[in-house]
Amino acid sequence: MRRSIIGRSWPNAIAVVLFVFFMFPVYWMFSTAFKRNSDIISKTPVFFPLRGTLEHFSTATGAAQFWEMVGNSFTVTVLAVLGSLVIATLASFAIARMKFRGRKSFVLVIMLAQMAPWEVMTIAVYMIVREKDMLDSLVPLTLFYMMMVLPFTIWTLRGFIAAVPKELEESAMVDGCTRTQAFVKVVFPLLAPGLMTTSLFGFITAWNELPLVLILNKATGPGSAQTLPLWLTSFQSLFGDDWGATMAASTLFAIPVLIIFLFLQRNAVGGMTAGAVKG
Amino acid sequence: MAVQSEPVRVQSPGGVKGSPLGSGRPVVGPSLLSRSTPYLLLLPAIVATLALLGWPLVKTFELSFQNLNKRQLILHLTEWNGFSNYKDQLTSSEFWHTTGRTIAFTTVNVVLIMVGGTLVGLLLNRLGKKMRILLQAALMLAWAMPIVAAATVFSWLFDSRFGVVNWFLDQLGWHSMANYNWYSSQYGTFFVIILLIVWQSIPFVAFNMYAGLTTIPAELYEAARMDGAGSWRIFRWVVFPSLKPFFLSTTFLEIIWVFKSFAQILAVNAGGPQGLTQTLPFYAYIQGTGNQHYGIGATIAVLTILMLVVLMAYYFRIILKQEDEL
Amino acid sequence: MKRQLIAAVGVAAMVVGVAACGSSAKKDDSTGAAKYNGKTVTAWLMSGSAPQAWQDGVKADFEAQYPGAKLNIQIQKWDGIGAKVTTGLSDNSVDVLEVGNTQTTGYAATGGLLDLTADKADLGGADWPANLNASSVLDGKQYAAPWYFTNRVVIYNKALWTKAGITATPKTLDEFYGDLDKLKTTAGVSQPIYLPGQEWYTYFGLLAGTGGQIAKQTGTTWAGNLESPEAKAAFQTFQKLQSYSTAPKDKDEATPEQTTVFAKGDVGAMIGLGWEAPDPKDIPASDIGYFAIPGATADKPSGVFLGGSNLAIAQDTKNPDLAKGLLKIMLTDKYEGQMAATGLIPNKTSLDSLATTPFAQAAIPASANGATTPNTPNWSNVENTPNPIKDFLAAVLQGADYDATAKKYDATMTQLLGQKQ
Repeated sequence: MRRSIIGRSWPNAIAVVLFVFFMFPVYWMFSTAFKRNSDIISKTPVFFPLRGTLEHFSTATGAAQFWEMVGNSFTVTVLAVLGSLVIATLASFAIARMKFRGRKSFVLVIMLAQMAPWEVMTIAVYMIVREKDMLDSLVPLTLFYMMMVLPFTIWTLRGFIAAVPKELEESAMVDGCTRTQAFVKVVFPLLAPGLMTTSLFGFITAWNELPLVLILNKATGPGSAQTLPLWLTSFQSLFGDDWGATMAASTLFAIPVLIIFLFLQRNAVGGMTAGAVKG
Repeated sequence: MAVQSEPVRVQSPGGVKGSPLGSGRPVVGPSLLSRSTPYLLLLPAIVATLALLGWPLVKTFELSFQNLNKRQLILHLTEWNGFSNYKDQLTSSEFWHTTGRTIAFTTVNVVLIMVGGTLVGLLLNRLGKKMRILLQAALMLAWAMPIVAAATVFSWLFDSRFGVVNWFLDQLGWHSMANYNWYSSQYGTFFVIILLIVWQSIPFVAFNMYAGLTTIPAELYEAARMDGAGSWRIFRWVVFPSLKPFFLSTTFLEIIWVFKSFAQILAVNAGGPQGLTQTLPFYAYIQGTGNQHYGIGATIAVLTILMLVVLMAYYFRIILKQEDEL
Repeated sequence: MKRQLIAAVGVAAMVVGVAACGSSAKKDDSTGAAKYNGKTVTAWLMSGSAPQAWQDGVKADFEAQYPGAKLNIQIQKWDGIGAKVTTGLSDNSVDVLEVGNTQTTGYAATGGLLDLTADKADLGGADWPANLNASSVLDGKQYAAPWYFTNRVVIYNKALWTKAGITATPKTLDEFYGDLDKLKTTAGVSQPIYLPGQEWYTYFGLLAGTGGQIAKQTGTTWAGNLESPEAKAAFQTFQKLQSYSTAPKDKDEATPEQTTVFAKGDVGAMIGLGWEAPDPKDIPASDIGYFAIPGATADKPSGVFLGGSNLAIAQDTKNPDLAKGLLKIMLTDKYEGQMAATGLIPNKTSLDSLATTPFAQAAIPASANGATTPNTPNWSNVENTPNPIKDFLAAVLQGADYDATAKKYDATMTQLLGQKQ
């Protein structure tokens, strides 16, 4: 009897330990954002910011052009993710469902494309954008962010498409649908989880990108094309890191990702299945 | 839904031809239009890849043969210098040390991430609903935390005087750890960096693993258990074969991501102490963007890609082989 | 948190602005208003440099003097500034820019900055002290104008010093050590001074003060000079000071931000800049004192690292005349005076009297004995992460042999200073 209770409770015990392990750094970020400076650096850690302050949040949101940057970040990220989803859906349908010459080469290119060292390619990207006279604009950012997430999106979606039984599509066509209609009516709805998984990944990637925007969009002031990662790192400087403000900014910065996750949660988690299995 | 029982069999090497209708060809007539359909579908992806990735890559390759520093960039000068960037790197002992370190660093991280992620995934599958959602939420929060914040928090949890970790170890009675300096040694610094990367990477693997597990039909477990198999045997003979493609593709992604990571190294201890925690992408970034020797940065980037391709050649073969079976 | 100077400015700046108004001469009044229509001059200033009132004043004066022209002041963050300035000069997105004094020679050598040799006199160059102007000059040509400077002083907690029974600030290093010894045994003092081991500016200052050099030039090549006896002597002073601190030996003053540590109120002193003084909410300003790091003898304080910024014009600017006009306005006594009033050292000694903050009072006497980093285009290679001087300090403070370590890092510095441009 005793053994079986232990046998049943050990997964829960481990889960609690893991919960603390994964949660603690996040909690530390969140709680630090509310701490007074004297409590941030303290020999005896202050675990609960009882004498809290909102000062760091006002420093963070009071930065120049904060709301414009929020707008820019959303525009760029959402467009980049949507763009890559559309392009990837078309491409992954082709490689998952059709046989044609060059298919394998394309798959190889997609795998190689995931290795692209974007951080080190920034100067090449910069020279191209400079040549095209597109600096200080959201357009190149959107395009390149789209490209950064495209290989992963194709890679994952093709797994999802492959997992949808062909029979479903074929029976729709027997019922008189064209192949396009069959795709839109039968396959596409089943792809929802896959689309959500990849958009979450794409969102995190594009939302966080810093090295490129740093040198492409240098103009500051009203109407500039700067994005939030520039704001996020601005509380760390040569003269010292404003930890409180960095943590407050990071907390705010992570919120959209969390909202999207909560929104997609059921589908995203359940949904990674097919893509992963078909990998 | 038929998917539930299908994927497992579709994946097993012998099961490919089991799909009764084969490819889509029999249904769609072999007209010119339908033969060009796949290419039309791929067109946007190909155009985007060529223009947005191919072009910068070719440009980076070009730059790797140039002497490109502040001066040349400002004055728009092109100064070719042949293979001298490559020669300098390939004959520098620092480069090779860094390479060796990068490979070791990647291996340790990926092994920890895959083992840890798999175990967490298995655990998720065993937990009750409430506990599972709780743990999933924690995993998600870790995954979504901005790298700047995560790196700052970790480097500071391990701070010698004000860090929670040392305080905690001291409270537990390990008093010599009270002011222990994690960053004064290569291993100490790597410990913090690896913990950070593993912490932030496990969620992706665990989610995928858990999702994969839910597709394995319960009957398979039942059958194995009837045969008297223990946990390890079930994993080895039921779970692993079913999820082999998952392990392949996730390991592939993790190798690339870990190999390329440098923001964590920069933020935790800036490659210190004394450059002993520098990895190749960090080195390329410092040389390129930091010291503004863009040509040398490009050279290291090209060498890094080549190295990755060589290291991954085995993977490419396995995955492409799988393609044949699709 | 007070990296921003803005808070320190207050009313003083305004008053000074009015008082020093007379000197902004009108020059271009002969030309018609239409001449400047549609022309915009873009100026990059670093975050935290110029107070808002200064920016507004400069903008108003500039646009009044050049009717039709617009001044667009853009505030740049420090993160990634090297790549930003380089690309900015390369894509023509900036006309007038603030450049850190340790970076100026590097940019001058690229050909990206406009040669101002002929304009020096017009910009007021006759009054610039040689040590402040040094970083703006390369091979005898003037590539920038000195704008403002500052140097580190000892910032101390008066309450703790009184508690330790210290009645006057030290005049020599030995007295300083004596005071730190007293603080060490005082209850409620966690450490006499906060001095992280990688705070290389203080080490650099101590070295420069003795006439030593961190790198030396032979012909056209530069080599690391940590092996020199002067460098070793300066290190010993630095080590002695550092031994009074429990700050990490392998971190710099930015992590953790030393202000935050000092502001807790149990640290006797720190070596810092004016804007690092703690927030008055943590320690009232009246409890904070400042004095220059004392020298070996009472007649001269220790040497200091002169940090600061120059103003330069991009070679590619489309409106060189407007850019020069703007530079001239920025450098007038009126605006230099406003910078001085925030506690910075202005570019001419005649304006020093306007720097009346307690910090400036301590900093200015020491600045006469201050030096900037070696005047070679590759210097920024040394300062970039990973900075060999910081690694060197951390290593020796943690017990490595001085001579062997100095040799190793001299080689690194020599290699960095000799890199192809």
